[in-house]
Formats: sequence, C-alpha cells, structure tokens
Amino acid sequence: MLLNVEKARKVFGGLVAVNDVTFQVPEKTIISVIGPNGAGKTTFFNMITGIYQPTSGVINFDGKSLIGLRPDEVTTKGIARTFQNIRLFGAMTTLENVLVGRHSRAKTSYLDAILHNSTYKADERAGLLRAKELLEFVGLLDKRDELAANLPYGEQRRLEIARALATNPKLILLDEPTAGMNPQETEATKHLIRRLRDDQGITVVLIEHDMRVVMTISDNVTVLDYGTKIAEGLPHEVRNNPQVIEAYLGRGAAAGEFGKTAEGGEAA
Amino acid sequence: MKHTASLPDRSMLLIASTIISGIIAYVMILQKNNIESYFVTPVVMFFCFNLYFASAWNVSRVAKIVAFVGVLFIGIPMIGFTNSLYLQVAVTICIFAAMSLGLNVVVGFAGLLDLGYAAFFAVGAYLWAIFGGTQANEFIAGNLFPLNGNLVFIFIPIALFVAAGVGALLGLPVLKVKGDYLAIITLGLGEVIRVLANNLNKPINITNGSQGVRIAPNPETSPLAFITVPLSEATGIPFFQMQLTMYYVLVLLVVLAVVIFTSRLDNSRIGRAWVAMREDEVAAQAMGIPLVRTKLIAFATGASFAGAMGVLYAAVIGFINPNDFNFERSTQILAMVVLGGLGSIPGVIFGAAIVVSLNQLVLVEISRVIGLLNLPPRFDPTQYQQLIYGVILISMMIVRPKGLIPAKRNPAKLENLEHGELAKGVK
Amino acid sequence: MSAELFFGLLPITVVDGLSIGLMYAMIALGYTMVYGVLEFINFAHSEIFMVGAVVGVELLVNLLVPTGLHPLFQLVIAIVVAAAVAGALAVAIERVAYRPLRVRNAPKLVPLISAIGMSLLLIDVMRLILNPANPNRPFPTAGSYDFFSQQLDLGFVAINFKTITVFVVVMLMLAGLVYLVNYTNLGRAIRAVAQDQSTSSLMGINVSNIIVLTFFIGGALGGVAGVLYALKYGVASPVMGFIPGLKAFTAAVLGGIGSIPGAVVGGLILGLLETLAGTYLPLMTQDQIGTEYKDIVAFGLLIAILIFKPAGLLGKAVAEKV
Ligand SMILES: Nc1ncnc2c1ncn2[C@@H]1O[C@H](COP(=O)(O)OP(=O)(O)OP(=O)(O)O)[C@@H](O)[C@H]1O
Ligand SMILES: [Mg+2]
Repeated sequence: MLLNVEKARKVFGGLVAVNDVTFQVPEKTIISVIGPNGAGKTTFFNMITGIYQPTSGVINFDGKSLIGLRPDEVTTKGIARTFQNIRLFGAMTTLENVLVGRHSRAKTSYLDAILHNSTYKADERAGLLRAKELLEFVGLLDKRDELAANLPYGEQRRLEIARALATNPKLILLDEPTAGMNPQETEATKHLIRRLRDDQGITVVLIEHDMRVVMTISDNVTVLDYGTKIAEGLPHEVRNNPQVIEAYLGRGAAAGEFGKTAEGGEAA
Repeated sequence: MKHTASLPDRSMLLIASTIISGIIAYVMILQKNNIESYFVTPVVMFFCFNLYFASAWNVSRVAKIVAFVGVLFIGIPMIGFTNSLYLQVAVTICIFAAMSLGLNVVVGFAGLLDLGYAAFFAVGAYLWAIFGGTQANEFIAGNLFPLNGNLVFIFIPIALFVAAGVGALLGLPVLKVKGDYLAIITLGLGEVIRVLANNLNKPINITNGSQGVRIAPNPETSPLAFITVPLSEATGIPFFQMQLTMYYVLVLLVVLAVVIFTSRLDNSRIGRAWVAMREDEVAAQAMGIPLVRTKLIAFATGASFAGAMGVLYAAVIGFINPNDFNFERSTQILAMVVLGGLGSIPGVIFGAAIVVSLNQLVLVEISRVIGLLNLPPRFDPTQYQQLIYGVILISMMIVRPKGLIPAKRNPAKLENLEHGELAKGVK
Repeated sequence: MSAELFFGLLPITVVDGLSIGLMYAMIALGYTMVYGVLEFINFAHSEIFMVGAVVGVELLVNLLVPTGLHPLFQLVIAIVVAAAVAGALAVAIERVAYRPLRVRNAPKLVPLISAIGMSLLLIDVMRLILNPANPNRPFPTAGSYDFFSQQLDLGFVAINFKTITVFVVVMLMLAGLVYLVNYTNLGRAIRAVAQDQSTSSLMGINVSNIIVLTFFIGGALGGVAGVLYALKYGVASPVMGFIPGLKAFTAAVLGGIGSIPGAVVGGLILGLLETLAGTYLPLMTQDQIGTEYKDIVAFGLLIAILIFKPAGLLGKAVAEKV
C-alpha cells in the first residue's frame, strides 16, 4: 500500500467532518473519493497533506507516518495536490508557477543564487527543462509567459496539475479536477489523469462530482457521507450500492446530479 | 515595426545627449567662478531626463550603459564639484534606495509588512557611530576610539551579519503569526529599539541617550582618506567636497551591489518562493516551501541591507540620534517602496529618488518661497512630511496599487534548451 | 526598596493601572470590533482617538469653560461631541480609504497600507490645524476645574476625581455597548455579520450598513477614550495617539482579537502590568532602568502572547478553511 489511512478522524468544534475513515491506496492506481457536498472529502485531503492535523487516526505513506508533518514536509515525502478552489500564484507566469513546484527538489542555496555559480545554473536549467516538459504534458507550453491569473479557468486547472507534478510526487491528490470544465475539457483531463498513471507511473486519488469521469477512470471508488465512509469498491459496485443511492437521493439537488451522471456514465 | 525602426536613432540620441550633458557639466567646473548657482538645476534635470529615457526607452544595451554610467559616475560627481547640494541629495537617494531595496525584499517580494524596518537601520548606524567615534570609550577602557575610518569597510559586513542576526532573532517568534499581526509587532519592535537607543545611556552609557552620537569629522582618519586627501591636493578641490564625491561613488556602488543581489535572489528558487508565499501561503506550502524559514530569510535579508546602510549613513552624516530611527523613518521607506512599485527593483529606486528629492529639494524650495512671501511659517511644507507619505500611501493603494513602475515577471528563456535534453527528461 | 514603600505605593499604582487599562480597553474595542467584522486592522484608529481628544479639549477651552457650568456637566457635553465627531470621522475614513479597496477585493496588504497612510495623514493635518509650532492643547485646570484634582480618601487609597471620572464614564460606556451588542437587533446584526458576511446578507442584513455602524461605534468609543485620556494626562496633541493606539491593539490581541470582553480584559491586564512596571522598575533598580521601559514590557507581552496563545486569552482558535 502506498497510502494507508486508518480510522482518521477530524473534528471541528462539535462537527465531525471526517469520521474514522479507513482508506487504502495501492501503488499505480486511480482511486476516486465521492460524496455529497460537505461530506468531508476536502477535509480528508487536508488531513493527508498536513494542512489539518487529524484529531485521531493513523496516516502512513510509503510505510512512514505523516502525522505531525507540515504540508511542505508532506510534499517533500512525495505527495502533491491540487485545490478545489484553484490556488495558483496569480502574479507569476505560468512557467514560474511550475518552477515553484520544484522548490523542494532544487538545490540552489542562498549563496548559490547570489553568486550565480554552477549549482545555480545547473539547477535553473534542469528546472526549466522539467517545467517545459510538464507544460507540454498539460498543453500549456505556448502560454508559458502569461500570468497565471489571466489564464482561462480550464487552463488554470491544468496548470495546477502541472505545478503539482513539478514536485515529483509518487501520489497526487486532485480535488475536483474537472469542476467548471466543458465536456471537451473534461474528456481531455480524463485522458491526462490516465496518462499520469500510465506514462508517469504516478498514483492518483481524486475527488470528483462528475460520475462519467468517476465511473470510467477509477480502479476503485470510496464514498463518504457526513464524514463516514459508507461504501467502497469497483465503480459499478458502488453505483448500485443502495446506501450510496440513498445518500445522494436523500438530498434534492445532489440526487438529480448523481442519478443523471451515473446514467451518463453507463451510456459511455 | 515603427518601434524597431526607430531603435538605432534613439540609442544614438541617448548617447549624444549624455555626452552633451557631460560636456556642459565639465564646462561648468572650468567656469565655476563665473556661473550662477541656479544654472545648475537645469543641468541636473537634463541628467535626470537622460536617466529616465535610458530606463523607459527601448534602446540598445550599450546606449543604456553609456547613459547610466555617464550620468551616475561622471556627470553627477562633476556637478558635485560645483554645487554640493545636489551631490548630497544624490548620496541620500542612494542610501535610501539601498534601504528601500531591502524593505522591498520583505514587503514587495515576500509580502510581509514590516513597520519597524528603521530599527535595523539603527543597529548598523549605532554600531559605527559608537565605535567609529569616541562614544565607545565610555564603556571600553583604554581610549582606543575612534577607530580608523577605513574600518568602516569591515563594519559594513559586520553590521550586515549583526542586523541579519537581530532580524532572525526577532523574526523567529514573530513570523509564525498571521500576516496582519506582523505589521503591529514589527511596529512594536521598532519602538523597543528606539526606547533602548534613548535609554541605554545608563547604567553604562552605550548610546548616549537622546543626545545621540557624533563622529567628529577628521580628514586624517575619515573613511577613504588615503584616496581623498591626495586627490583633493592634486585637483585643488576642497577636502570635504572631494570626500562627499568619494562617499557618493561608494554608496552608488553599494546600490549597484544591492540591485544585483536582490535581482539575482528574485530570479532564483528563493525569490520565487517569496513571491509564491506572498500570493498564497497555503498553496506555497503545498509546493514544498517551508513558510517560517522562507519568511525568516526574507526578513533577515531586508534587515541586513538596512544594517549595512546604517553604517554608511553614520559614516556619511556623522551624527545620529534616536529620532533618526522612529516610526516616521520606517514609513518613509515604506512610502518609497509603495510609490515605486512593490516588488519592482527599478520602481523602488525611482520611489526613493522621488521622495528624497521632494523632501530635500522641492519642499525646501517651496518653504523658501513661503518665507519670501511672508506667509505664516505654519504653512511651511517641510514640516508635513508625514502628510506627504500618508497621501502617497493612500493614493497609491487606491489608484495604482502596483506603483509607478509595476514589477514585471521575466519571460522564460526556453529557446536555448535543446530538444535532445528534453527527451532525456531531466528530473 | 523597603517593604513599606512597596506596599505603600501598591494601592494607588493598581488604581492607576486599572484606570489606564480601562482607557486602553475603550480604544481596543474599536480595533476589535472592526477586526471582528472585516478581519482588518484599522491602523488609523489611534488617530481617531487623537481627534476625539483634541475636539473635546478645544470645545471645553473655547466654548464650554466660558459658560461657567459645572465641569462635570461640561465634560459630558465634550464627550458626547467628541464621540460624534470621532465616530463620523471613522465612517468617513472607511468610505474614502477602505471601501474602494474592499469593493475591489484587494489583497490584504493593500487596505493595511492605506490605513497606515491615513494615520500619518491625520496626524499632520491635525498639526496643520493646531499650528505645528505649538500643537499641544492643555486640558483646563484653572477655576472650577480644580474639582478634578481633588482627592477622595477611601482609607486605603486616595483617588482623585479624574480617575473616578474615568472609571464611571468607561463603565457606563461598556454597559451601553454590552447592551447594544447583546440585547438589540442591531447588535445581533453586528454579531451575525462578524460571523458570516454572505449568509448575513442572504438573511436580509445590509452588510454595508453594519460595517459603517461598526466603524461609527468603534470610532465613538475611541473619541470618548481620547477625552478621558486628555483629562487624565492633562493634554491633547496630534501625536498622542501613537503609543496608546499600539498599546490598545496589544490589549485587543491579548484578550483575543474580535472579542469584546477580551478587549476589556486585555486592556485591564496591560494597563495594570505596565503601570506596575513603570512604578517599580525604577524603584527596584535605583533609577537605572527608567519608567520608559514599561513600553518594552507591553510589547514583550504582545510577542509572548502571540507565541504562546495566538488566539488571545478569550479568543477561540479557528482553523482557516482551505
Ligand atoms: N476549517 C474548518 N473549520 C470548521 N469547519 C470546517 C472547516 N473545514 C471544513 N469544515 C466543515 O467540514 C465539513 C466538510 O467539509 P469539506 O470541505 O471537507 O466537504 P467536501 O466533501 O469537500 O464538500 P464539497 O463537495 O462541497 O467540496 C463541512 O461541514 C465544512 O463546513
Ligand atoms: Mg471539497
């Protein structure tokens, strides 16, 4: 198991946002986490990445505990992420955003930077090469000098993925990577996620509301509701799980969404 | 297209105008005794235009260098031999430009609002004033002081490290707190340093309290005397005027060094981490940037520049007192940074030049006119510098938050990377 | 120092410290209420306090003293006017320097810098108005104002009427504020906006009006504190706001920024501590460490609080939503 979460729990005041969730991610798989709004999916990601410390539970990555680590230390261990509400560095160019992702992998020290010595030059060169490669991978190379804030929405999401990849992760956590995309963009992103695993050998965990995406690319699906894991299994198992249908149907708007997109997934 | 076509002539124009202004300045030195002092002002303005066009126009590199070197290293010192006021202003501009560049690292790059920046300036200034003058004799036996002025070049790096150390020490607890608290805490720290400067005249007299510390001017032992004295003898230019010129060249070189330092940092992993952190702390941390450490580096870098400039300030001005380092000083430097453009290296220098010229030339001139017109002295604008800083800060934030010369991000230079390298997939 | 001297000074030092602390609390309320609603440090608040003080003193000296009314009555009028002016000024500042930035959704640093600019501007405008050659405005002392210097002997301590006035006025204001915030619709609206602006506006609260109101109340409290401060220290001047403003902010953070009871507790603790330090440090060190070091005590406390209990004594730690 690359990632092994046992009985992770997060409480905010009186609210149990994540309730003793156990969750396992084998290497080189694509796992989806789904659930209605407010189910605790993002909070779950935040616990893994060290933004929140779990109230209790175990989180092991590559056999080592992540509990107590700061987010930057978690990143250095090999977990990268994107954010549900895009968090790019708006005043930096597309390319610079990716270069920032290389922070923990680059070796340039303060002195190296001032002296412009060979370490600095080699580092910058390697960084540029990798950034170029990643921008090509997500199809943003020709936008490299544009400020991130000026990119259209769909491209911003892809840039977040490129930036996360620049940290050289073993595991990448994607929080709603297709949110706000049109069908073509969604399709392209789906393809991109597959290539992450197949070409780059990276394990992917994604939070996703679009059931067409979930059903077609996941090796395994975990369902959260009110912070609790209510189902887990292969996509088609989960889709037909009465508890899952109940969780979605129990809530007006979300139910329609699930029903519709689940069928869409079937059609595809 | 029209733009590129006009490139060569503009370059030539700039070079020509630089040379012409240089010749005028030289003639002025020769005709020193026949020239009215008000004639100097238009020449200085001519210089300033040259500098402005050199930075604003899209001209060849050579023309830029000619204009900058010509004006800064030849033109202004020559003016200084005729009229030392402008040279004094230029020295002050350089000192403040270097400090603003330091504060720019903290506020502009890293987005940390530091309102106690003058405290680090004070650390450097007191360091030199105490040991470079006779003050240290008060608490170190043996009548060893003043030290030889040339030791200032050793004190500059010492102050660099001391101020960086003080910055890191103070920053360590402070930088963990939320951004807007930082402003108030640094303000408090600035106050603490001022209180210490004011009160550390007992039990042992270290700072001489509110009276401040003076370094008696002494041609024999002043910094760079070994060059200044023979030069002044050879050229017949009075010693103190020659010394001022030497100081000017010195601070100018320091500004140059600071520009190189900060722009190199800006274009490195460290500078990118600062900007990323400024833009979004959560995302920056998720990219593997350790926040406290990165903030601390920014804070200490800014502090160290201020410390080094403090040493030079004390050496050049020769007298310091606690009020040189109060809140007003910190806001003055902040106003320079904000006016020029947060995070913009040319902008910040420009901001320092404008604020200093405003204070030392424009306001002084207006105040002279007010005196001539017999208006009540309460309307003398030199007393309302805070008002000016206030107006600068508010209006810039509302109208042009990116400053007069907004920071530019550098375009990527990917062209020289070969495709073969890419295929290897450097990681 | 002798135990006799130590204990002899203690009661008056404590009373003094508490009265100063109450004034800090009044100023701190302005910081804390605005912060509660906007998460923004209104840096110009210390100058609103200063304007209140100057307006109050000028009014007394030029208009009220000649009427020959009882000084307490005069003081009440001065306080009311100063509160109104300071409140209105706070609202005007919000309008001119902060709202345009808020509407634009500028990064946090931007309104903060604007606020600092406003603070500098107000100091110098006031100097210009009062004449920089002689900007100090002494609080009246002659004639019937002698009343404030009289002592009330309580046995263990003798307190002058200045201090008593400070106590009474602050208590009344605090009671009024607590009533307003906790027991009126307006107060409920303020609390709602502080908690969640967008939900409040969905519930039909005019958020913009509530923000204006918050600035007005905070400013008015600051203005009252200004008049009391001038009464206690005998003078109002353009630069008087800086240090008390900084202290009051410290008090607000100490108590937990955003918390009204926190501001009061923070103010009292800070006032007490620094007064004790100011009295006893010089005595215990034979004047080698002067009264001025009390400021260092105050900021040391601020830093310590932020390190060890960043949410303050009465504040609640909240995790930022990501
Ligand atoms: N920092 C926090 N403080 C208090 N409550 C929080 C915090 N972060 C999240 N919550 C609460 O925890 C619950 C789960 O939120 P979370 O964002 O994890 O849901 P989600 O499954 O990602 O929902 P969505 O699909 O809308 O993104 C919600 O009720 C939310 O309000
Ligand atoms: Mg979410």
